[in-house]
Amino acid sequence: MRDVIVIGAGGGGPVVAKELAAQGLDVLVLEAGPRHADPRAQWTSFENDANNPLTGYFRLGPTDRSKPAWFREWSQNSFVWQLSGVGGTTQHFYGNYPRAYPGVFSGYEGPDRNEYDIEHRFPFSYAEMVPYFEWVEATAPVMTAAMGTKEAVFFRGCETLGLPVQTTKTTTGPSYRPQENAILQPGGNAGRTTDRDLLAYPQATGCTFCGYCFQGCMRPVGAPRNQFAKRSTDNSYVPMALTADVWAPGGRPVDLVTDAFVTRIHTERRGGALTATGVTWRDNASGAEHREDARVVVMAGGCTENPRLWFNSGLPNPNDWVGRGYTDHFFDWVIGAFDDDTGNPKGVGSSARLDFPPYGGLENVGLPPALNAFSTTLSDSGIRGQYTNGRGPTGPWDGPAGRVMGPELKELVAGGLDRLLSVLVITDDDVERDNRVTLSALPADENGPIPKISFRHRARTARTTRNREFMARKAAELLRGAGARKVYRIDWAPLILHVQSSMRMGESERNSVLDANAESRAVRRLFIADNSALPNALGGPNPTLTTQALATRTAEKIFQRYFGGDPWVATGAPVVSTDPRISVRLGELGL
Amino acid sequence: MPDSTVPVGRRAFLARLGLLGAAVGVGGLLPRSALTPPAAAAQNDLLPDAVGLLRPVLAELARDTLNGLSVFALPGPDAYSAAQGTPGDTPGALEAGTTDFLLDALDNFVPFPDELARPVGAALATGLADSAVPLPGADLLPGQLGTLDRAFSALLENDATIPLSFPIAGMLNLLATQVNPLAVNGAFLSPFARLSYAEKARAFELLEGPDSDLVATLDVHFPEPLKHSVSGLLKFVGGALIEFASFGSYTEYAVFDAETRQLTARPVGWRLTGYQPEGPVEGWDDFIGYYQGRTEVRD
Repeated sequence: MRDVIVIGAGGGGPVVAKELAAQGLDVLVLEAGPRHADPRAQWTSFENDANNPLTGYFRLGPTDRSKPAWFREWSQNSFVWQLSGVGGTTQHFYGNYPRAYPGVFSGYEGPDRNEYDIEHRFPFSYAEMVPYFEWVEATAPVMTAAMGTKEAVFFRGCETLGLPVQTTKTTTGPSYRPQENAILQPGGNAGRTTDRDLLAYPQATGCTFCGYCFQGCMRPVGAPRNQFAKRSTDNSYVPMALTADVWAPGGRPVDLVTDAFVTRIHTERRGGALTATGVTWRDNASGAEHREDARVVVMAGGCTENPRLWFNSGLPNPNDWVGRGYTDHFFDWVIGAFDDDTGNPKGVGSSARLDFPPYGGLENVGLPPALNAFSTTLSDSGIRGQYTNGRGPTGPWDGPAGRVMGPELKELVAGGLDRLLSVLVITDDDVERDNRVTLSALPADENGPIPKISFRHRARTARTTRNREFMARKAAELLRGAGARKVYRIDWAPLILHVQSSMRMGESERNSVLDANAESRAVRRLFIADNSALPNALGGPNPTLTTQALATRTAEKIFQRYFGGDPWVATGAPVVSTDPRISVRLGELGL
Repeated sequence: MPDSTVPVGRRAFLARLGLLGAAVGVGGLLPRSALTPPAAAAQNDLLPDAVGLLRPVLAELARDTLNGLSVFALPGPDAYSAAQGTPGDTPGALEAGTTDFLLDALDNFVPFPDELARPVGAALATGLADSAVPLPGADLLPGQLGTLDRAFSALLENDATIPLSFPIAGMLNLLATQVNPLAVNGAFLSPFARLSYAEKARAFELLEGPDSDLVATLDVHFPEPLKHSVSGLLKFVGGALIEFASFGSYTEYAVFDAETRQLTARPVGWRLTGYQPEGPVEGWDDFIGYYQGRTEVRD
């Protein structure tokens, strides 16, 4: 019998695990995918080797790459970018840690208070969340991003839009700024040389500007795992969880088991209430099933896998909201072609942003050649110059939106990737019932019936559609302002990569799965601690910080309610994840 | 001999799929004699041989079709690019190994359930609108055509695993002949590979369109709850084929040595885009400071 079993070692699960391990609880973390414990031997930074969704080391599948990836049903033109493995999608993220906009929380009284997704607000206030933001920001740690050429180009465009620079952590209105990101900023030779002999730790510390965020961060070479620049959870929270005995008084290291696919959550009736008691998982390699019990079970398998596990476990769904309300920031992609160097794709994937509550935001993005090609060909508007698929919106970009592919793409990149700058359009999108995960009617896999992800992307709410169009125009204006001689809008098909709210917490029991403590309304002792627990799309900010802050709060709620403990965030001092005691212990453990 | 009689619609279907031309058209891969039923023998005696002969024909047809798709994503200095009207002198998808990239992915790594591949294959076998275009293999005897058709059916029904590249290629070729019926004949094995760039785009328009006839035709053949799964999946496939072919064309796939995890040459995608002119890096010297000199913010 464990104290706590955490299902999933992605962006959220390791936070609960680390926090409760620090309190001395016996925590088991089960991860369905691989542990990349030796990235220098397992990764390459090449795009196909890393990011091929079928065969890459970053995919949704078992450790053994000769085995197929796990098939998921997407019933529309879309791309759902799930990753298995310790770190989850933080393995390929850009480390951006903006706070959710205050307008998405209960009790917000700003003049634009009615402009957000007001039917689906956080069930508590922004002020209540701030200490948890601060705790995570100190742990990760979060810093103001350094600037490279592609940030300078982006800011040049921002400066033409008549917006102020944000100089606070909290976003209070339309503004632009360097990212607040969980990247160790460049130190020593990092960012100042291309000579690899000068870029080994500790001559170089923090971000070396390699441009390989999406292929996994393993730099500077020679650094301890918890000193790699990018704070994916496999570099931050997981090392802390595995070494809790050395940095937390009374702490107890977690047990981490990988290639362990949880197929069932067990329950029983206790005092009339359905109560979670443990889980069954299946070893990917041997197929052997294991069962273990726990006082509390925490789901953190992601927005797509959590509903699947819920359904496959036969858990109740009294208000029919399990799997519903999936939000994805309804991304779009706008590209500028320049005559001068844009710095693409050097440095962190994105180190600059523009926020525009209550519409959404923009980020500059650097991409290597194949991901660039993917990004210019994922469209719901056909092929530029050939067909529009019934869409092809026009605006301050050149020609109708649509795929830039084939000869046109070849010509576009012929001037060099470093003459392009891309902008990610992030929409503040509404929670909608019909954007959801259900079980697929296609054949089950070895872990049970598979999930089906449905997005009615052509029938989003008027507010969502308005926000996306507004931000796409801002992106084009920004690129023009920065000096782009040509601007392309792709009109992306859903790229479901910022995922939120498919198991949402909410103010009302009529349209939420979780109560305000992130505990399931239908099953006691069952909590959710990843992006799926978020009540909404946050207004547009990247979800990792808010998920981790919420997971920290959830860890406190678990400890208070079921282990008789006291909360620690209000009075304690967080340990930073780069702490040398963690590095030393990792070395002793061979990690 | 009624068993040897293949209905006209079925014959057109085999032609439009590309199979008839690839097997017995001009430049076809099968000797006619292999399909000729011996007068005295039971027909089924011939079938195992014919199935064995047909499998490589289908594989070549799939490869040829994907050549046509690859150059649609990234044209280069090859015959397929010239045929679609986009000749060039810089390397393209065929130099980048995109066809192998797609075959490798489709046949070995897409965990596409046979339970779905099989009915999709069967559903494709329904007659679509016929045309007056002369079909390849016109001089084929009824018995030969019957053998070919039965071997094809037997292969779909009996093979343990149908490589996903077969139904994908078949689908592209059916669409190709919908766009341009004349594509049933000509250079290459695949009707899709014979299309112009604009015609290939039109084929994808048919696949992606919200009211795609092909998709609707397929839905008819599936019971609920699979009905909309098939149409949704095909819309996904329509997009994914373009995206995946484009992605693959610009990766290191063709020059990656899996043993050493090193590159054996500079990838086509890198040459075309100027990416990493000196090869992989540990870092860049692109740190230019902090915006407005600010290194920290607070509320």
